[in-house]
Amino acid sequence: MQPRIAFHNVTKIFYARRQTITAVKDFSMEVFPGEFVTIVGPSGCGKSTVIRMLDGITPPSEGRILIDGTDFGGKKLDVETLKKIGFIFQEPNLLPWLTVEQNVQLPLKIMHMNTPENQKRVHQLIDMVNMRAYASAYPVEVSGGMTQRVGVIRAMVHDPEILLMDEPFGALDSITREQLNMELLQIWRETNKTIIFITHNVEEAVLLSSRVYVMATDPGRLVDVVNIDLPRPRSLDMITDDRFIAYTNQLTHLIGEIDLSKIV
Amino acid sequence: MNAKRKTLLHTIAPIATFLLVFIIWEVIVVSLQIPKWLLPAPTRIFQSMIVNFGDFWPHIWMSFITILLGFLAAIPLAISFSALVTNFVLLSAALTPYVLLLVTTPIITLVPLLMLWMGFGINTRILTVLIQAFAIINLNSCTGFLNVPTLRHELMDTFGASRVQRFFHITLPTALPDVFTGLRLATIFSTTTCISAEYVGGNMGLGSQIIMYSQFLKTTESFACIFYVAIIGLFFYQLVGVAQNLIIRWKI
Repeated sequence: MQPRIAFHNVTKIFYARRQTITAVKDFSMEVFPGEFVTIVGPSGCGKSTVIRMLDGITPPSEGRILIDGTDFGGKKLDVETLKKIGFIFQEPNLLPWLTVEQNVQLPLKIMHMNTPENQKRVHQLIDMVNMRAYASAYPVEVSGGMTQRVGVIRAMVHDPEILLMDEPFGALDSITREQLNMELLQIWRETNKTIIFITHNVEEAVLLSSRVYVMATDPGRLVDVVNIDLPRPRSLDMITDDRFIAYTNQLTHLIGEIDLSKIV
Repeated sequence: MNAKRKTLLHTIAPIATFLLVFIIWEVIVVSLQIPKWLLPAPTRIFQSMIVNFGDFWPHIWMSFITILLGFLAAIPLAISFSALVTNFVLLSAALTPYVLLLVTTPIITLVPLLMLWMGFGINTRILTVLIQAFAIINLNSCTGFLNVPTLRHELMDTFGASRVQRFFHITLPTALPDVFTGLRLATIFSTTTCISAEYVGGNMGLGSQIIMYSQFLKTTESFACIFYVAIIGLFFYQLVGVAQNLIIRWKI
């Protein structure tokens, strides 16, 4: 089977004033259709840069990134490919002058996809995250958890096959975060989308994904790939499960080891 | 404090200040018997504003229409110019120094030359107001257009937005508060510029009347004209405020 997303030895170098910073070095990854993959690592390990390169926000310096077999060679993705992708930012990144509903509709307007069918999905998605009562509210008028939910469904309004999530729930309190994680797993089960999820939270990584890519800093690089062989559907009860704890320990160990080696 | 009381407070407090200032002024003038050519009492000025309204009106109208036309013409010119300059690096590099020169040079220094070329008519004064308003609106709009958060641009990247879509969906709405700051400042500068241009030449407009009455020591009439200028300036400033509240309905 052809991977939906493939990274082949991708390196990203940022040129600062007098120095070069290697944000990502020699990164390779393959993600197949319908997979839920997590990239975990300490801040500054280049995990965000990985999916930003994938979505064409910033070009790779070396290596090849393929989406459904197409290599864009560091150029901006074409609109047809962008239609396949939904990107969820660390912050909700809503536009304050648009209502909740208008924010969700924005991608449809810009990508010229304002079909009646997609319009229907706007309302379905708003219902799905229980925000019908707030559809005509402005972002400042709703809570942080709600704005992040809007950010998530905005990325899904054009029904993309791929969701790229850059620490989407990092700024939220743990209760809201767990709730949104469960909602996300449900969405994934129902829609079978391919998801790449970035986090620095080891438990979140184990809970959500089938495979965890562990990254380290200086330079940002891949250190290990851990398959999470836990049954699905997953629930929050699993956090106390022995195997769950074993996985989180393994990941914490992998990340911790890296930090120690840096100090030495 | 509830909203009603707050509104009431904000209506009554300025009126009270107004009355207080003019009462003190009146008392000083009357009690010290200051001659009216030196400093007329406010009641005399208000009286003149009403009694001589027929004489003032053509000039009030002239100043008003000069500011209005110059200011209105400057808005689309300045906003589209700043949009182009901030979107194209070459244009920005080529024009920014000269735009800055336009802002820093007092426009009043150009008026004698403009009058030499174009005569003493209203067209010269409208053009002067236009140049001044353009410089101010352009400066503030540029600031706004350049201050769009990177995150919003990245959002547009993820949708593959075109340059035009980007401008209308994020750049313009993000910059609107700055654009309106420019418009507010431009009303003040337009009024000042209009009156200054009327000082320099011609015999129409409130500026020319202030000069004339002052030369004849008709200080009361002079003051009456100054008060009308203040009213015109305030009117345009508030007009922009009203427009801003109508257009920017979201809170940042």
